[in-house]
Amino acid sequence: MTQIPFKHAQFAHCESGVMATLFSAYGFPLSEPMAFGLAHALSFVYLPFVKVNNLPLIAYRSLPKSIIKTLSKSLHVKMKTQTFKNEEQANEALRCLVQEGKIVGLQTSVYYLPYFPKDMRFHFNAHNLLVYGMQDEHYLISDPVFEEAVVCTQEGLSKARFAKGVFAPKGFMYYPENMPKQVDMRSLLQKAIVKNAKAMLTPFAFAGVKGMRKLAQKIVSLQEETNQRYVKNYLTHIVRMQEEIGTGGGGFRFVYAAFLKEAKAYGLNEALLEEASALMVNSGNALREFALYCVEGSKKIESLNTQKIATKLIEASTYEEKAFRLLKELK
Amino acid sequence: MIEIPHEKNETLEGMQKVMYAQNEQGNFERYNYGSSVEEFATQVAVEEYELLKKECLERIKKGEDSPIAFYMYENRMDLPTLASAVGMFQFRVKRHLKMSVFKRMSDGLLKRYADAFSISLARLKEFH
Repeated sequence: MTQIPFKHAQFAHCESGVMATLFSAYGFPLSEPMAFGLAHALSFVYLPFVKVNNLPLIAYRSLPKSIIKTLSKSLHVKMKTQTFKNEEQANEALRCLVQEGKIVGLQTSVYYLPYFPKDMRFHFNAHNLLVYGMQDEHYLISDPVFEEAVVCTQEGLSKARFAKGVFAPKGFMYYPENMPKQVDMRSLLQKAIVKNAKAMLTPFAFAGVKGMRKLAQKIVSLQEETNQRYVKNYLTHIVRMQEEIGTGGGGFRFVYAAFLKEAKAYGLNEALLEEASALMVNSGNALREFALYCVEGSKKIESLNTQKIATKLIEASTYEEKAFRLLKELK
Repeated sequence: MIEIPHEKNETLEGMQKVMYAQNEQGNFERYNYGSSVEEFATQVAVEEYELLKKECLERIKKGEDSPIAFYMYENRMDLPTLASAVGMFQFRVKRHLKMSVFKRMSDGLLKRYADAFSISLARLKEFH
């Protein structure tokens, strides 16, 4: 495997961004939408019984690490992955690899990364970044959500790699050991898209299109809630799960729309992909309006109209249902 | 079409994130953007912890809450996160959030919390 000189790039989402950069750096150029779509990572999950700071778990994408796993599996890439018991071992292993000139992916907490803006530092353990070099005792880091490459102390990075709690990274480190040679993109894309479609159309009430409607129901019920502080936190929590932990403006939908567009180049039904891509753009736009309504509602609780907010979410779910019913039949 | 917002977002301290949108040819590209919707949502989350801290200080004055509760909020943690950070069961940590229990805790036990909060044992014990 030959490595080309490392170049930092900024992406919409950490895990797909890391995978795009990693594959490209190791000689297999891959865009972020391709990394995201091939890993059938678009999702929606609303789990009222799993609490984060007393608020339900809401996710707009598949589980952390799933892009790393799914993408390497489908492209037949052997990913070397490692977790560690303690910080010394983890540091030593990372330093060795970096000295060999390897570019290495890490899972970290956001809270302990010293270069993150203070207001953005929360206990979210499923952040991904790349280490591409060392300078004295500092790591050179390509963090996909930052505009420029950054530098981080060994101590700070160690702390972030060994944060405790949900999705605790345990020093998780990864890099590819080989790169795909002959890839039947057409077949891979077809499989990944159909799989994603099935997942979004699942009969399980708390996931996919149905999950969006379930959350809409819950939002309507907030009209009766007397604890205003809770309503405010709830609505902005939805936005944060969508915009920050995710990527701006219902951004995963836009990433997926970009992916469908890019997939047109591989001999699949172009008209169908084009139509589904446009529907995903509609959904992304609806989700952005939905986020705006959530924020307006929590700014002026007196004039809160939960029906209006919920209707917008249902509108987004309708576009997605249409798109994925089409995509399920993709040939 | 996808509109790219260019609003201020002070929570990012001058940094900008990227999103995908179509260019004139209809192909997708990455664009920098700024969103006041995101800014507000982040600020609410940050302010909620400030509020929790303030309320906690009141309860500390009344002898109800322990300094551990204060530092939990100070570190933007909830009970499950703190329990995981110190490696104890939640019900046990919950007891430690009470001043009456805190006063009887050993230095060894307190040290585990001090480490999780990256502060000295003395600072945790001599809270004021």
